[in-house]
Amino acid sequence: MKITQSAKEKTKIKILQSAVDLIIEKGFDNASLREMAKNAGVSNPTIYNYFPSKEKLLYAYIEQKHKESIASIQEIEDFHTYTLREQLQTLIETELELYLEDREFIIQIADMVFHASGLKMGKLYETNALFIDTVDEMLSIAIEAEEIAKPPFREHIAKLFWDYYIMVVAYWVKDDSEMFENTTQFIDHSLGLADAVLHSDILSKASDLGMFFFKTHMLNSLQKFASKKDSFNLIKRKLGDVLHG
Amino acid sequence: MDNALPTGKLSRGKVVGKALLKIGAKKTKRFVTNGDKTQNHEEIADIIFDALGALKGVSVKIAQQIALGMPFLPPAYLEKISKSFNAIPSINKALVRKIIKTELGLYPQDAFDTFEMTAFAAASLGQVHLATKDGERLAVKVQYPGIKKSIESDMSLIHFGMKRFAKGQNVDHIVGEIEARLYEEVDYVLEAKNCDFFRENLQIKNIIIPEVYHDLSSEKVLTTSYLEGLDFDTYLLANPSQESRDAYAQLIFDSFFHALYKLKSIHADPNPGNFLFMQGGKLGLIDFGCVKKVEDDFLQMYNQLHINLLQDNDDLSIIQQYIKLGMIEEEGEEKMLKFYTEVIKPLDTLYKEPLVGDSYNFKDNPDFAKRGFEMIFEVQQKQFHSVHKLNEQFLFINRTLLGYYALFEKMGARIETGYVKKLLKEYR
Repeated sequence: MKITQSAKEKTKIKILQSAVDLIIEKGFDNASLREMAKNAGVSNPTIYNYFPSKEKLLYAYIEQKHKESIASIQEIEDFHTYTLREQLQTLIETELELYLEDREFIIQIADMVFHASGLKMGKLYETNALFIDTVDEMLSIAIEAEEIAKPPFREHIAKLFWDYYIMVVAYWVKDDSEMFENTTQFIDHSLGLADAVLHSDILSKASDLGMFFFKTHMLNSLQKFASKKDSFNLIKRKLGDVLHG
Repeated sequence: MDNALPTGKLSRGKVVGKALLKIGAKKTKRFVTNGDKTQNHEEIADIIFDALGALKGVSVKIAQQIALGMPFLPPAYLEKISKSFNAIPSINKALVRKIIKTELGLYPQDAFDTFEMTAFAAASLGQVHLATKDGERLAVKVQYPGIKKSIESDMSLIHFGMKRFAKGQNVDHIVGEIEARLYEEVDYVLEAKNCDFFRENLQIKNIIIPEVYHDLSSEKVLTTSYLEGLDFDTYLLANPSQESRDAYAQLIFDSFFHALYKLKSIHADPNPGNFLFMQGGKLGLIDFGCVKKVEDDFLQMYNQLHINLLQDNDDLSIIQQYIKLGMIEEEGEEKMLKFYTEVIKPLDTLYKEPLVGDSYNFKDNPDFAKRGFEMIFEVQQKQFHSVHKLNEQFLFINRTLLGYYALFEKMGARIETGYVKKLLKEYR
C-alpha cells in the first residue's frame, strides 16, 4: 500500500504532537519513543521509521514550526508592503506564537542546549535551512527593491539572524513578564537597532567597527544565557566563522 | 538610531537623573544671582519636560499630565504638550499583528474582514487602525506592549525628582492623581465601560458616541464603530461659518454640564483630539480614557456655591461654601478673607465670567484663556503651599472647563447660558 505524501505529513505531525505532550509530562529523558508511538496510535516500527532517535524528533519539531510560521506569513495579503524589519519581526513573532502552547517543551530543549549536555548546539543548526532561506529571500527582496543597500557579508547576514533568533528564544524562555511582553519589547528594540545598522551604511563605511559593535553585544547577551562553556564557545566559533570568512 | 525607548529602570533613571542635575544647577544659579523667579520656573519646567520627552512612551503622557496638574506652567507649554501627542513611538506592522493575536486570539486578517496595518490616528499611548467586519467600519485602538509596567517605574522616578525640587510644595497628590489617571487610561476595559455608559445615557441631539465591539476588545485593544469627521484643527482650517462655530461650542458646553448634573460623570480630558466634527452639525465624542465620577454630596455643594457666586452673594457666605467643599480651611475670619480674596476669588471670578450673562462671546474676549493661565500662575506664586488643600473634584471640573473655554476662544464662538443655568437651578 502506497502512502501518500500528505498522509505521511499528517502522521508525522501527530507523532510530534504526542511526543511534545509526553515530554512536557515526563521530561525528555523519561519519555520513551515507545510510549510516544502508543499515544500517537502508531506502531513501534512506524515511529522509528519517522524518527530514529529522540533528538531527530526535536529537530523535526523545530523544522515543523518553521514550516507553520512561513505558512502563516504567506496568509498575510499585503506582506510585500512590510518593511524588511517588519517582515523579520513578523517571522520571529509568529514562531514564538507557535511555541507558546508548547512552552514547557521549549524550555526543556533550551535547557538541554544551554545547560545540560543532552543536545549539541551544532545539531540545531541543521534544522535552520528553511528559516535561513526565508530570511535570505526577505533580504534579497529588500536589496532588490533598494530598501537597503547591499551590506558587506551579505551571504552571512541570514545566518547571523538565526543566531539572533536563538538568542530571542533564550530570552523568551527566561521571560516571566505578563504575556511575555518583555520579549516583545526586546525584539522590537533589538530589531530597531539592527535595522538602524542595516540602513545606516555603517557596515560598509566602517565594517570592522560595525561588526565589532554587533558581535560584542550579541556575544555578551548570549553569554548570559549559556552557562555551559561548550555551547557558548560553539556559538562564538560559528560567529567567528561568519565574521572572519 | 530609530526611536527606541530607553528601557529598564536604570537607563530611564539616568535620563531623569541628568535632568535633576540640571535643575539643581539652575536653582543654584538663581540663589547666586537672585534672578527673576518667573524665568526660573519656566526653565525648570523646560528641563523636566525635555527629560520626559527624551524618555518617550508613558513619560510623554506623564509630562502632559504634569502640565495639566501643575498650572504654574506657562502657556507656551500647552503648545509643546499638544505637539507631544504624536511623539509616542509608533507600533509597526509586525507588532500590531502580534498584539492583535495576543489580545484577541486571532491574527488581524482572521479577527476582521479587512484590517489596515497602517494606523490612521495616534491615540494617547497607542494608535488607531481602520478595519471592517460584516460591512461595518471599525476603529481599532492598539496599545504599545509594556506600557503599564513602565508607568510604575517612571512615576516613582518622577515623584522622587519632583519632591526634591518642588520647593516644599506638596506634590504627592499631583503624582498620585497622575498615576491613577494613567492606569485608568491604559485600561481599555474600563474605557469600553465608560464609552458604553455615555452612549447609553448621554442622550443629546447631535452628540454621537461610538459603539464598543466587546468581542473584539480587551485590556489592550479597543474596537468601536468608526466615526467619520474632521479633527479640531482641520475643522477650523476649513473656515466654518459663525453659526457652525457657535453651534458646536454650545453643544460642547451644554453636554459638559448635562453630563455633570444628569450623569454625575464628566469626560474630563479637554484635549481637542477627543472631538470629531461630523457632517450635519453632529459632534463625535471619542476617547473615554479619562472619565471622572462626581459624588452627590460634592455636586450639591458645588451647585450651591455657583448659585451663590452668580447671585453675587457676600464674600463671607461664599467662604462658608468653600469651607464645606474643603477648599478653605476654617480659621480666623480675617485670615480666611485674606486667603479668599488673594487666592480663590480671582479664580472663581474668572470661572464664572462666561456664566454671568445670558450669553458670552469669546470673540470679544480673545484673551480669556491667557488671563486664566496667568491668573493661576500668579495665584500659585503667592500661595504655593495651599495647593494640597484644594478639593480635587472641584479642580478637575474647573480645569476641564478652562480647557473647553480655551477651545471656544480658538473657535471665536458665542455661547448661550440658558440651558446650563436651568440645570443649576433645577438640581437638588
